Amino acid sequence: MKILVSWLREFVTIDVSVQELADAITAHGFEVSSVDPAPPRIATEEEDGILDLEITTNRPDCLSVIGVAREVSTIYGVPLNTQNQELPNQSQKLKTLKTDSPLTVTVEEHGLCSRYVASVAEVTIGPSPAWLAARLEACDIRPVNNVVDATNYLMLEFGHPMHAFDLACLNGSEIRIRKAISGETIRTLDGNTHKLETDMLVIADATQPQAIAGVMGGKDSEVTGVTRTVALESAYFLPHSVRRTNKTLGLSTDASYRFERGTDLTAPLTAMHRLHALLKKIGASNSPPQIIDTLSSKIDKTKITLRHERVKHILGIDIDKTFIVNTLSQLGFSVTTKSVDHQWDVTVPSFRVDVTREIDLIEEIGRHYGYERLPSTFPTLVSAPTPSTPWIETQRILRRILTGGGYSEAITYSFIERSVAETFASSEDSLVNLANPLSEKYSTLRPSLLPGLLDCLIRNRRREHHDLRLFEIGKIFQHGKGERTAIAITLTGAAHSKHWSSDSRNTDFFDIKGIINTICQTLKISPHYEPAEIPQLISRNAASIFEAKDKQKHNLIGYAGQLIPALAKTRGFPDTGGEIFVAEIVISDIAHSTQDHYSLQTSPIPRNPSMVRDLAVVVNEDLRADKLRATIREAATETLISINEFDRYSGKGVPKGHVSLAFRLTFQAAERTLTDLEIQETIKEIIQQLKTVHNAQLR
Amino acid sequence: MTSTPNINQLKTKFFSDLEEVRTERDLQELRDAYLGRKRGALVALLKSISSAPIDRRPSLGKQANELKLEIDTVLSERHKNISKRTDCFNQIDVTLAGRPVELGRRHPLTILREQLELIFTGLGFEILHGPEVEDDYHNFEALNMPSEHPARDMQDTLYLENPLVSEQANGRPPTLLRTHTSGMQIRYMEDHEPPVRIIAPGLVYRRDNPDLTHSPMFQQIEGLVVGENVSMSDLKGILEVFLRNLFDRETQVMLRPSFFPYTEPSAEVFITCVFCHGSGCPVCKKTGWLEILGCGMVHPAVFEAVGYDPERYTGWAFGLGIDRVALLKYRIEDIRLFYENDLRLLEQFPY
Repeated sequence: MKILVSWLREFVTIDVSVQELADAITAHGFEVSSVDPAPPRIATEEEDGILDLEITTNRPDCLSVIGVAREVSTIYGVPLNTQNQELPNQSQKLKTLKTDSPLTVTVEEHGLCSRYVASVAEVTIGPSPAWLAARLEACDIRPVNNVVDATNYLMLEFGHPMHAFDLACLNGSEIRIRKAISGETIRTLDGNTHKLETDMLVIADATQPQAIAGVMGGKDSEVTGVTRTVALESAYFLPHSVRRTNKTLGLSTDASYRFERGTDLTAPLTAMHRLHALLKKIGASNSPPQIIDTLSSKIDKTKITLRHERVKHILGIDIDKTFIVNTLSQLGFSVTTKSVDHQWDVTVPSFRVDVTREIDLIEEIGRHYGYERLPSTFPTLVSAPTPSTPWIETQRILRRILTGGGYSEAITYSFIERSVAETFASSEDSLVNLANPLSEKYSTLRPSLLPGLLDCLIRNRRREHHDLRLFEIGKIFQHGKGERTAIAITLTGAAHSKHWSSDSRNTDFFDIKGIINTICQTLKISPHYEPAEIPQLISRNAASIFEAKDKQKHNLIGYAGQLIPALAKTRGFPDTGGEIFVAEIVISDIAHSTQDHYSLQTSPIPRNPSMVRDLAVVVNEDLRADKLRATIREAATETLISINEFDRYSGKGVPKGHVSLAFRLTFQAAERTLTDLEIQETIKEIIQQLKTVHNAQLR
Repeated sequence: MTSTPNINQLKTKFFSDLEEVRTERDLQELRDAYLGRKRGALVALLKSISSAPIDRRPSLGKQANELKLEIDTVLSERHKNISKRTDCFNQIDVTLAGRPVELGRRHPLTILREQLELIFTGLGFEILHGPEVEDDYHNFEALNMPSEHPARDMQDTLYLENPLVSEQANGRPPTLLRTHTSGMQIRYMEDHEPPVRIIAPGLVYRRDNPDLTHSPMFQQIEGLVVGENVSMSDLKGILEVFLRNLFDRETQVMLRPSFFPYTEPSAEVFITCVFCHGSGCPVCKKTGWLEILGCGMVHPAVFEAVGYDPERYTGWAFGLGIDRVALLKYRIEDIRLFYENDLRLLEQFPY
């Protein structure tokens, strides 16, 4: 909001430069975002300028020159000068409801409009005096004519928005504050036509809406050069109602900005008197104020008990009582000492709609005392801190393992394009759409981390990075399944960077399987892989990954495999880009069952040596390695502690359609040293079983 | 006629091969080649004797065995010498490229978040995590932001078309992407009695179009302390310690009054500009100060919402955008770079 410093100085006498003033206002919670010189049309003796203030939503009272002046007077400890502002005194507050009034006012919606003050004035329309027009322009308001300008001038100075109708255009010389009727429309002053909804409050005449209450007036009753008589409006509209209306219509105005934040319930009448005074002053009207006021009950003032001890409790410093009383009084609160020691009764002025409880008063005290004067202390630790959940540590460890394994971490947006999401979702129904996305590109919550991660891989690939390993840990979202944490991995290019000592090889499925196994080890689960058909992966090169709980029960946790090249291509991956491998596992369900990483218990280091035997068999090439492994495991005694395929060969010496698979078997017993003989027996049994079950030939 | 094994030829070849031996491994290979049980040359020689004419066999056998013995002796002698010597190793070029250990990088926002978590766990805070899809109550209402509150405009919200899950136990459907991590704090207070010392880091979402300084998704960390005797001065003290840990020991901290619906009094916190150290530069708009976080004393209405007695308990909270701190700390000019994950940026973080 723009504030002209010379205008401000009419209300408060201060001997500081414009910049000093701006700094002081900023330091008290109203950020001055810019200081500009006043236009040359405004000639003042003292230094002038235009301050652009950011008024927080809780302080609508400061959306006016007087409101800011009140703050400034408190900052500098000088009086707020309102003497020459023609404020009405009590005796002037005449409530004139004459039966022969040229205007009738009916409020149908008292809940939405608790006060409507109206009056009628004969006017001579013309341009405003130069000084008034110049002030409006300095505050970014375009002068229209003397009557409209006067209402705007008072809004800026006093903070209360008002409106003028051309009385001749009001059918039935009537003002009716009611909700819009279904199907009603209004053409507003900006020339646009709006379809009104039935929860919107309007100011209507006998037949149609003439203004959207608190938002904008209607074109039909606009005050123009031919207007002779005006109906003036000064009302209080319910903030929620104004806010909902302007949100729905997308129509925010200077008036609605103030009404939706909350205006002063006592202001409508005062403002009306000031308007009449101003119209008289600028020669626009000489009509004596004949005012209609719908307020029926007395306005209750908020009273708050303020305890000196509580101020100290909240702010952490003992602030002098005189300072407290003076500050609050200057801000417009009336403060009386209570019979109880160290307490006050504080009456809140009606313009301070933000102040409802003691804490609000303490803020006023702290704000003017200055937070820079608060000491820096430390909260006392009265209980031992609770350890954070092991889940936090699990994620940290996973990140360290993955980076140690050469994978770099990406963080991508949680929302993606719906069409892309569909490719990676188990069903389209499960996709979670945003109601108000920023754009189509960000329309759906990701059902998988992979689309985002792949885009990231492709982007890097196009920037001349050929060998890429990326991962992301983040949330995925699906209806029915809710919000789950997943790890996604993707890799492409060479497995190792080129080095003079060895040949390079490309990454493949088994690189990704290796890192998943390591992740599973960290999560203390055993993964189990099954060949699977996964739409986005190349057939016969993809696996579902299960958490092996026991022989019967396997829990699906994710998948791995080679991405379909066409899919990568549509996202911009070059034709010659090579193969991309991807995997995703959902870890939130698993990690839930894992124990804290520091509660691990070791087993004793085996005292007896282990024995290693290699065994190569020729089998049908379609036979799965895990089937062979299972047979070996079954045939062996429990002294077999590990099985590892260390060689796989087909070609010369191996019949067509067959493959030679070599296993390294490690045997160990905790209690004794194994004998060569018993190992031989076991091997014999293994070979026998492999022959029987799989028709395997010893190589 | 079968060929006569030429023992002398083999002997000559052995001694010439021996000349080439430099290392222990070479020596072992030589031993295997001549004396190996399966493929050794001497084994082959002895085998071939069986096919020689009968009359020559004894003498050939004797010669072969003598050669075998001689080779064994020579090799053993040589072994004794070679294990003591090092000048027999091949020279390597130590200036050739080493074999790279290929490490991945943590994302800069992760690095910073973990640093923040470390600072606060050191100060006795517990770390929370919670859902990113929130219900209206935990994101707004419990935080003194009833519907129609203009303050909701301060955080333009992304809503879901339909609730993420149809029915929550408490009848509050998760319908929006959290605009801050405060919901976790509300949940924690609903389940725990004071004292409270927690931090809540995580992703948050706002309906802001991406530009240099805005991202519709970013990371935030919020802190909350509640107890019987917690004051705004304590807030100031902790913030100073925290910000000096995060930036540098010389960092000055300034609190300026502000407004948030969930705190009262509220303040914006500024630190000495990290670029000009307070002398004024374009980044701090010549003020010497940079806005870094928002904070304040927890509003009594928030305590009432979670069932704490606001007379007995006081507390403070703060919230800080990790992305913004990362921009300042790492001198990055565009927040969008964090979500592009360009390795040319990530690889500048060496751990």
